[in-house]
Amino acid sequence: MALVRVDNLVKNFKEMKVIKGLDFELEAGKCVALIGANGAGKTTTLKMLAGLLDPTEGTIEFEGEEKVGDHRKLIGYLPQHPVFYEWMTAREFLEYVGKLSGLSVKEAKERTEELLELVGISDAKNRKIGKFSGGMKQRLGIAQAIIHRPKLIMLDEPVSALDPLGRREVLELLDKLKLEATVLFSTHILNDAEEVCESILFLHNGEIIESGTMEQFREKYQQSKIDLVFKGCAENFVEKFANNDDVISIKHEGNKASLYVRDLEAAKVSILNSAVDENWPLYKFEISSISLEEVFMKVVQK
Amino acid sequence: MNQWFILLKKEFLEMSRNYKWVWVPITFILLGILDPLTSYYLPQIIDSVGDLPEGTVIQIPEPSAAEVFIMSLSEYQLIGILIIVLSTMAIVSGERKSGVVQLILVKPVSYFSYITSKWAGALILISSSLFLGMLASWYYTGVLYEFLPFSDFLAAYWAYALWLILVLTLVVLCSAALKHPGATAMVTLITVFVLNLVGGSLTHALEWSPTQLPLYVSERLTTNQWPEHIWPAAGLAALFTFAFLVMAILLFKRKELAD
Repeated sequence: MALVRVDNLVKNFKEMKVIKGLDFELEAGKCVALIGANGAGKTTTLKMLAGLLDPTEGTIEFEGEEKVGDHRKLIGYLPQHPVFYEWMTAREFLEYVGKLSGLSVKEAKERTEELLELVGISDAKNRKIGKFSGGMKQRLGIAQAIIHRPKLIMLDEPVSALDPLGRREVLELLDKLKLEATVLFSTHILNDAEEVCESILFLHNGEIIESGTMEQFREKYQQSKIDLVFKGCAENFVEKFANNDDVISIKHEGNKASLYVRDLEAAKVSILNSAVDENWPLYKFEISSISLEEVFMKVVQK
Repeated sequence: MNQWFILLKKEFLEMSRNYKWVWVPITFILLGILDPLTSYYLPQIIDSVGDLPEGTVIQIPEPSAAEVFIMSLSEYQLIGILIIVLSTMAIVSGERKSGVVQLILVKPVSYFSYITSKWAGALILISSSLFLGMLASWYYTGVLYEFLPFSDFLAAYWAYALWLILVLTLVVLCSAALKHPGATAMVTLITVFVLNLVGGSLTHALEWSPTQLPLYVSERLTTNQWPEHIWPAAGLAALFTFAFLVMAILLFKRKELAD
């Protein structure tokens, strides 16, 4: 069941084509990462979904939207650099946006306390937002995005600006949010996407060049690859495999070498045989699986 | 409607946190009592600081109470308008420029409520400041010269308030249309002062123009009756206010909010 259906979404800024026809669906209850380099169009896409930008062409349909084109009740949005009323306190701000989203005064109060606790800034709730650090603002930003229990939570680079500790905490928070709503977040940090999300959309130059789950990517892009680490220079040991029929290519750098092979089993046997026969100073032998980063490089180069 | 009041409450909170509720009324009151005081004490002031040669005789005709009151209104015409423009020029563009509008408008907030609540907040601030200021002026004129009938004060107030509300609404419109607060200030100030200048010289051609309202207030105070064109001028002022507000909402709706 698709929560959101995006059909041929196009956005031009003056003459510049920023988004060149996106088609995708977001399923209810999934976590989807929008991945792309800087300038790929991630923010523009999210802003169109949030209703802050009008698409030049194409449609965005939400399941269960009341009024055509106004689905703001169903979404929560955190911009990349959230800005608040600096003169308000965190509690005042959350109560304010809660009431604007249609919560009653009592509900807004309760929900505010709950969320301040959840995102971990309840100690600072009566402090002016102007005095908040970047990490605290990011947390407050997440709290304001989910205050009205939206069906779709959209976060624009929620962890890029955070230190490692804050990043970890926000990722854990995203894990919790996944249980309540569909989460769509953009990032250029591939590890974060791999960690939290089931499903991934690759955006490149305003087009979706690849989409699917991590498993699908592995199947599609998996190349049998054997990584070796030696004590000393790797080149001398592996270069004789260059003429081997099972081996497609060899990469070596310092004490590391990677062999891309056709038949994993056959290659494994011949490498390990040589290792034993020639008494290689081998530290590590690994049959590696592809990482999201490699998928990214591959799909971008295509 | 409920949401509208939530937005309005926020405007009030903001205006008290940044002390607009202190400095705007105080400035209007000071402007109001400036002229009654200075014209009353002018002879003494000249005496004490004038450093004039002995025997100089200065004769200053004693102004009437109505004239003094009219003089203080002319302060609002210049400095009052400047204060209105400066205190509200960022009313819409400020939140858009800082980006906070992105957080507010992804919530189901109607554009109508967003603009009109801001307008209403500023309107209440300006019209109550003007009321206090004119009241202070009326009182000091009364104490130092003679008390004008209170009905004169009320008549002057509503017509003058109508004019300043029109100026305020023009500021709101420009702030919705232009990104930079400085541009808003420039456009409104130039528009208002040019219209005033033109209105002052072409009184016949522009007799229905809202810019003539301050002039008609003076006439009402000196002759004790409204000139005949006050009603069309007042009606047009209300109509323009309404039109500016509608335009502000439409422009704001069409503008893309995220950049």
